[in-house]
Amino acid sequence: MKTMQILKLALVVLFLVSGIVGCASTPPPSEEGTISQADMSQQADVKPAADAGQDTMKSETVPTHMDLAGMGNIYFDFDQFTLSAKARKTLADNAKYLKANSGTQVVVEGHCDERGSDEYNLALGESRALAAKNYLVSLGVSAKQLSVISYGEEKPAAMGSNEEAWAKNRRAEFKAVK
Amino acid sequence: MLLRCLAVIFLCLALPCTVLAATEIEISSPGEQTIPLGLTKLLSEQGTRADRIADEFDEVLSADLDLSGLFRFVDPKSFLDDAGRVGLFSNQVNFPQWRLLGAETLIKGTYHLDGDNLVVEGRLFDVVNRRLLTGRRYVGQPKDIRRMAHAFADLVLKALTGEEGPFSSRIAYISNQTGDKELWLMDVDGKRPLRLTNHRSIVLNPDFSPRGKEILFTSYRANNPDLYRKEIYTGKEAKLSYQPGLNVAGRMSPDEREVALTLSKDGNPEIYLISTSGRVRKRITDSWGIDSDPSWSPDGGSIAFVSNRQGNPHVFIADIFTGKTTRLTTRGKYNATPAWSPKGDRIAFTRQEGGRFDIYTIKSDGTDERRLTFGPGNSEHPRWSPDGRFIVYSWDKDGNRAIYVMRADGTGSRRLTSLDSDCRHPAWSPRW
Repeated sequence: MKTMQILKLALVVLFLVSGIVGCASTPPPSEEGTISQADMSQQADVKPAADAGQDTMKSETVPTHMDLAGMGNIYFDFDQFTLSAKARKTLADNAKYLKANSGTQVVVEGHCDERGSDEYNLALGESRALAAKNYLVSLGVSAKQLSVISYGEEKPAAMGSNEEAWAKNRRAEFKAVK
Repeated sequence: MLLRCLAVIFLCLALPCTVLAATEIEISSPGEQTIPLGLTKLLSEQGTRADRIADEFDEVLSADLDLSGLFRFVDPKSFLDDAGRVGLFSNQVNFPQWRLLGAETLIKGTYHLDGDNLVVEGRLFDVVNRRLLTGRRYVGQPKDIRRMAHAFADLVLKALTGEEGPFSSRIAYISNQTGDKELWLMDVDGKRPLRLTNHRSIVLNPDFSPRGKEILFTSYRANNPDLYRKEIYTGKEAKLSYQPGLNVAGRMSPDEREVALTLSKDGNPEIYLISTSGRVRKRITDSWGIDSDPSWSPDGGSIAFVSNRQGNPHVFIADIFTGKTTRLTTRGKYNATPAWSPKGDRIAFTRQEGGRFDIYTIKSDGTDERRLTFGPGNSEHPRWSPDGRFIVYSWDKDGNRAIYVMRADGTGSRRLTSLDSDCRHPAWSPRW
């Protein structure tokens, strides 16, 4: 008897449940309630660059690099920062100039060709400039007279995507700091 | 008998529940299985003809959903009268009509202008089961219409796959449009470009902080490659690292407590961790060669980077706690720019072969390498979308380099920036 009662109850529950689920054609129960609202005006807008006059950063005196007639460029192989025999000869001449002009502050600029990753080339340019600096110091140039900067592939000497241009761009240059 | 009765009751209760709960449609990988979608244009509740608002919403939404690779669009020319009917409740939609056209999902929406305000409602329906899957009401101004469409595309992907789309995020990149390389920001479809810096120098290599409110980048503004941080919303900018020599490739850790970057202050480019105030905390690499290009694992425990310590540039992974370093890439002679997927499983990188760079991905254990691009020209600078579905990159096939986006399997490539200027170095923001 008790079992029958439970069975009846089960049928009632079943009927109710199927009623709710089956009646999709009647207005959906509170479908509107499931729609949330997004207020787009609440989101902040990105601030574009300030014009030069109203820039938030203080202006800095930036040293300029001047060409030096007495110093020759040196060149490197692709993805290399080792000094060739030719590069070492140029550096020996540069060392003589630097010792004769010990009052001149010189920056060694390291450059790469356009191939390769920008970040890796920044590091490669740095390694080229450091290799040149270290060799000059080994020839007796004062380390205090020399600084280095890498421009990676950012300042090519020759435009173009061919071996001729690339060879000109894989270089270290020597500039006076003013 | 009693138990069996209870079991029957339980089953009857449980069955409809599972049906109701199954709002997600199973999609294993984009491109393999597409869902037929009826994408209707927004209808005006005020009875005016579909105008610029509806067109722009449709253009943005259909481009986002098309990029996702999840859908096959039912030809709008075949639409019947339900596409022009305003009712947005599931009992007002003529589902049999959409079934007839082969649609399994349906997007309908309305808009109305309320003074200066624009109100847009979008709904996604399951045509087969005749029910509402998701919907949202967007309140803003008419100029917000593109953002509303991107936000609704994000919601549609969430309803169908369980994971929100990345379409409301932004892409930072470097462009020389003004004559100098400056930092720019655009929508993920390349629209609304905005210049963020005015350094009139060389700005390089942007990356977002994981919560998206800041961008790190390198600038030669003070005549040295220094690392800067910039707050996106206030425009506030400060130097973060200005050691002698390189301060490049800055990448904020997932917990935003440290920045990995390349410094050359000790005479050789190496990877270091610095605090967010710029103080050097730890040196990660120590080799005779070049170590650069760090990319954090999403758990913050490892860093992928490039090193030529074994001769040619290859990608390595360093455990930042133990310092243990393993080589990831074994093929090719030049592998660079690793980018760890936000899901953690794969690392994208570039490889030079035959004088050209292409993009590859590889599992973080070094297996299952896949090539994604096949020229012509160079594809470089791969970066993942915050959901790992897409990769943004630069490609120079048309001479000038431009920003492109593709799916993580290499399909669906499309150009985002114009060919008038050189654009490179994209970085995808987190979700905003």
